[in-house]
Amino acid sequence: MIRRVAPGALLRAGRRPGNLCFLGRTELIRNSGTQSGLLTTNSFVFWIPTGHHVRVWHMAQFTLKINGKSQQVTADPEMPLLWVLRDLLSLTGTKYGCGVGVCGACTVHEDGRAVRSCQTKISDSAGKNYTTIEGLSAHGDHPCQRAWIAEDVAQCGYCQAGMIMTAAALLRTNSNPSDNDIDAAMSDSVCRCGTYQRMRQAIRRAAGEVKKA
Amino acid sequence: MRVTRRAFLKDSAYATAGLTIAFHLTETQAVAAESPATFAPNAFIRISSDNTITLTVTRSEMGQGVRTNLPAVLAEELEVDLNRIQLEQAIPGPKFKGIRLRTSGSGSSAGNFMPLRRAGAAAREMLIAAAAQKWSVDPGTCEAQDGVVQHQSSSRTFTYGELAVTAATIPVPQEPKLKDPKNFKLIGKPLKRTDAPAIVTGAAVYGLDMRVPGMLFAALKRCPYLGGKVLSFDAKKALAITGVRHVVPITKGISTGVAVVADNTWTAFKGVEALEVKWDVGPNHDFDSDRFLEKLQTNFSQEGYPIRREGDVNTTPANATKRLDAVYVYPFQAHAALETLNCIADVRKDSCEIWVPTQTPDTAHQDIQKQLGFPADRVSIHTTLLGGAFGRRLFNDFIQEAVELSQAVAKPVQLVWTRNDDMRNGYFHPASAEQMSARLDTQGNIAWLHKSAGSDLSMYPAPTAEEKKNVNRYAEDETPWGAFDNPYSFASMKVDYVPVDSPVPTGPWRAVMYPARVFAREAFLDEIAHALGKDPLQWRIDLLKPGTVLTLGSQKIDRGRMIRVLEAIREKSGWNKPLVRSGDSLWGRGLAVNVYSADSYLAQVAEVSVTRDLKDIRVRRIVCVFDCGMPINPLGLEGQVESGITWGLSAALHGKIDFRNGGALQGTFSDFQVMRMKDMPVIETHILPSTAPPSGFGEHPVPPVAPAVSNAIFAATGKRLRKLPFATADLLAS
Repeated sequence: MIRRVAPGALLRAGRRPGNLCFLGRTELIRNSGTQSGLLTTNSFVFWIPTGHHVRVWHMAQFTLKINGKSQQVTADPEMPLLWVLRDLLSLTGTKYGCGVGVCGACTVHEDGRAVRSCQTKISDSAGKNYTTIEGLSAHGDHPCQRAWIAEDVAQCGYCQAGMIMTAAALLRTNSNPSDNDIDAAMSDSVCRCGTYQRMRQAIRRAAGEVKKA
Repeated sequence: MRVTRRAFLKDSAYATAGLTIAFHLTETQAVAAESPATFAPNAFIRISSDNTITLTVTRSEMGQGVRTNLPAVLAEELEVDLNRIQLEQAIPGPKFKGIRLRTSGSGSSAGNFMPLRRAGAAAREMLIAAAAQKWSVDPGTCEAQDGVVQHQSSSRTFTYGELAVTAATIPVPQEPKLKDPKNFKLIGKPLKRTDAPAIVTGAAVYGLDMRVPGMLFAALKRCPYLGGKVLSFDAKKALAITGVRHVVPITKGISTGVAVVADNTWTAFKGVEALEVKWDVGPNHDFDSDRFLEKLQTNFSQEGYPIRREGDVNTTPANATKRLDAVYVYPFQAHAALETLNCIADVRKDSCEIWVPTQTPDTAHQDIQKQLGFPADRVSIHTTLLGGAFGRRLFNDFIQEAVELSQAVAKPVQLVWTRNDDMRNGYFHPASAEQMSARLDTQGNIAWLHKSAGSDLSMYPAPTAEEKKNVNRYAEDETPWGAFDNPYSFASMKVDYVPVDSPVPTGPWRAVMYPARVFAREAFLDEIAHALGKDPLQWRIDLLKPGTVLTLGSQKIDRGRMIRVLEAIREKSGWNKPLVRSGDSLWGRGLAVNVYSADSYLAQVAEVSVTRDLKDIRVRRIVCVFDCGMPINPLGLEGQVESGITWGLSAALHGKIDFRNGGALQGTFSDFQVMRMKDMPVIETHILPSTAPPSGFGEHPVPPVAPAVSNAIFAATGKRLRKLPFATADLLAS
């Protein structure tokens, strides 16, 4: 049975890993792993029989949806979204802080949810909607951005894009967060300048605006 | 120029000198404007006929707010709206000869205060004179306001831009009349950060965000052993990776290694992983920081260098009835700015251009000239925004590496340090140990003994044989800070310093030498206060001999100002009122106070709760009273206090760097923990009004944090923690 699968991340077909297949410049689709599937590239359609393991081991082409725009990039499928954004798409608002998901500087939204772009492979990114700090609002006027300015939060400012993205994702699902909710959402992120007190104030202020809206 | 510890201190505390001179220096070339339509009365201000006003910022923005405070000071005297002033970052070169471009010692705002006021006032007077000349009226009948000069009786006006050409021909006034502080519209008012809109939209450009045409990205496999080096390497696997362009050994910097140059950062990181390098482990491969901390303490038996001598500690007080002894220990610490070290260098055949987040574009300019053998005008350094610095970016090692790399591959290259690189290859805060002793008599007279053992900052050149002979060299350098400038008056006093060599590169970390010594001093004072049954706050005031000024070397410590912060914190913290407790935990309150470089004074009271099983310490509230002279921007100042306290708490409660087998153990924010939002106490900042000249504030809030918290933990539990970071295991063991 041929099942059409949505364009997406790394194709993980197969109970018998090891059967590598060179695909060249491909657009990847996800195979359920137990059934045969189709893999479409720019110019070819590959038939992937059930049980075959397919892994792209070369540069591949990906279509990413970032800040509402479709973007084509050619990259190693293992490349973290962070570096795709920064080095391939010149969206440098998303920051590198640790590369291992423990500082939060690289936080972006994946379908509205806060994720660490350093832990998100590009091959897992296709088909999802990403928002970076550059796309959080059209005119830099998201309630969090406005509150951040009003509370004079930023010092060196380097962590703040990740902080704002984390806070904005929190307010999206919880427009009236308690202090504990704020702590829980924000405490995986590091601000070495120690702007936490004002950040908390800014989140409360932004929550007030979100509620009113 | 030889940098001594003293010079560093002076540099920090009296940062005004460079700019004052600069202003006078530039006066001789005052009208040598860059174009006929530009009025540039000095190196800082440029007013163009199109009415743009530009301030060249001579300090690096690293979160302390120079790009807000400096233009505010200029705008105040120049009589323009703050938003009208465009900012440009100084690029080292002849224009800034004699002008300090280094950002250190918390001197940026205070140090620029008078020079920028004078620069702004002089420009204002020249613009008024230019208008008066054009109208053929007495300058006294003209007024500058909102970027316009107005002739009062006729209401005729010229914008500053319209006056630029004429103003450029007016001689620079020697003693421009400064505004009366009571007419200030900006200075002393809460000012929000000018960079904030760029920061919150991701548009602000840090070093890592710089892009230049044709640039490649690089990372470095660094020797994991302090002082080790590359023996041999195999680049085959790295070069096989698509996107890897070059593999180059690097010799500059503090850790030698092998660089991988690639099309993007991540590919460079992957290339580094694939490199196979054999290391010469070097002479320090067995260095262990736990053993070093023990060594510091065994070295207490050495005589050391005399730092302070007041009376004879053996005979005064004569009838001592009690003796207290304690040892305080401070570990190695990393700076761990969130933006890792990085630099773009573009080395051509006979020129070099650099984009870098640095605190020292001036010395970088010199170092790179030397490294490449290029004349000064062939090397340009562009300072980007700094994603934190805290002293680590005072070193040019990462710039030199990038220059070596770019020269080797003949392309512009951005060298990116990984988090592990950054955390393990620092100029660390040196570990130290303080041996504290006191002899007390029944009247509370005290013999104070403090022996400090630690490593000299390795950023300073090793002392010459001649210097080594001078037993007073540390005292003459007025170090260690916090031990030397102990502000209290005791019956007798003996302070000594025992330098202990370590292979760890060390440098200034926020507040440099103060944190370790103020921790020991203020916590041990608390121990004595409890032994004497005295109130730790009132007793400190008693020890400060009301109203006196303590002269120590070049420093004049105003004990009256110190008492003023103590009196204020007594009220603001509710010192004499019972603590507001909640839950079933043990609660306590602790105090610490400090004078920093004899120019800023501050006190902190910490409130903590400790669970009854002693397994959880929480800092609940910290009140800070701060006297740093006339506050330029109270909003920014409060932010710095919150920042410094958070920094101090990270060191007191979480982070430290251990060395095992010759290398730093901790590599990222999971094993080097810093404060997170959930750990934060409420911080209350009270800035005392003052007419004294503005003094430093960026580093100052750090030192009192650890002793205030330690003293609070003692008040809560009766147990004294003398080693950072405070561990509940130590609490259970003591």
